[in-house]
Amino acid sequence: MLLAVLQGFSELFPISSLGHTVLVPALLHWSIDRSDPTFLAFVVALHLGTAIALIVFYRKDWVGIVRAFAGSIARGRIGDGRDERTAWLLVFGTIPVAVAGVFLEKPVRQLFGSTEIVSVFLIVNAGIMFLGERLRRRATSATRSLDALPFVDAVKVGGAQALALFPGISRSGSSIVAGLLCDLTHEDAARYSFLLATPAIGAASLLEIPRLLEPAARGMLVEALVGGVLAGLTAYASVAFLTKYFQSNDLRPFGWYCLIFGAATFALAAAKVIQ
Amino acid sequence: MKALPLIVAVVCFALAVVYWLPNGPLGHHVKHGILFAVLGLLALVWLRFATASTAARSK
Repeated sequence: MLLAVLQGFSELFPISSLGHTVLVPALLHWSIDRSDPTFLAFVVALHLGTAIALIVFYRKDWVGIVRAFAGSIARGRIGDGRDERTAWLLVFGTIPVAVAGVFLEKPVRQLFGSTEIVSVFLIVNAGIMFLGERLRRRATSATRSLDALPFVDAVKVGGAQALALFPGISRSGSSIVAGLLCDLTHEDAARYSFLLATPAIGAASLLEIPRLLEPAARGMLVEALVGGVLAGLTAYASVAFLTKYFQSNDLRPFGWYCLIFGAATFALAAAKVIQ
Repeated sequence: MKALPLIVAVVCFALAVVYWLPNGPLGHHVKHGILFAVLGLLALVWLRFATASTAARSK
């Protein structure tokens, strides 16, 4: 259940949920078999819970976006309406992460799953956030609202999301930084990142639903359900907090956290205290 | 420019089918197939936009 809370919390905070699900069990000396069907079913339920929480939190936006998307296709053109622009920004932003996720997820995770490497990527994640904030402050261009974002920039933000395939790099962190570098405000960059997360997390978990129905996973179904609800509640609280937080704050505190946690776990892994 | 989206759609749907085949030349990958099917649908939307803009210009 601690893993469920950790997942719901770290999925949306820019601190890498994948990195934390490797490092925290290592710190607590939990022995988790990541290829075990029951564990995989549990993880699917956690992701489903997170995706549902995001849909519930942005329910009004999603209703408008889906309607505008359908209207746009029916008319055969992309209008200037806020929801219509957002719908297509989400489509253009989702394509790169979908392609990268389908083709690269397995090989990348097999190559970079060790505690030391995840710790290093967590430090890199801190560097990405510090650099992003520094470049944004130096930028001379004025900020723009999300619906004024060009589609080519949506692809760039979506591409940045794909960096999260490396365990330790945060999906929301990299996409918020990319949004900032495309002149979005922190608030709009975070909103776009969380809206983009919904199809990415939702589709990934929907495709894995058969794992929940496997005979080996049946004994775990109640735990998976409770875990999914817990992850969803934590994710909802996290997105509610972060949308307020980014109205007047930046990524640097999360950068410091990733730097310290990454350096500490790297030192422990190098000293063979954790594996 | 209606030919390009049509070609992209056909290629994407063909790849989706190839990935779904149990003994296909690219191996059996359901997720890859779903990805290409969705990309094929998006290419059809692109075709719809191209057709609509051509019709609007000719009016």
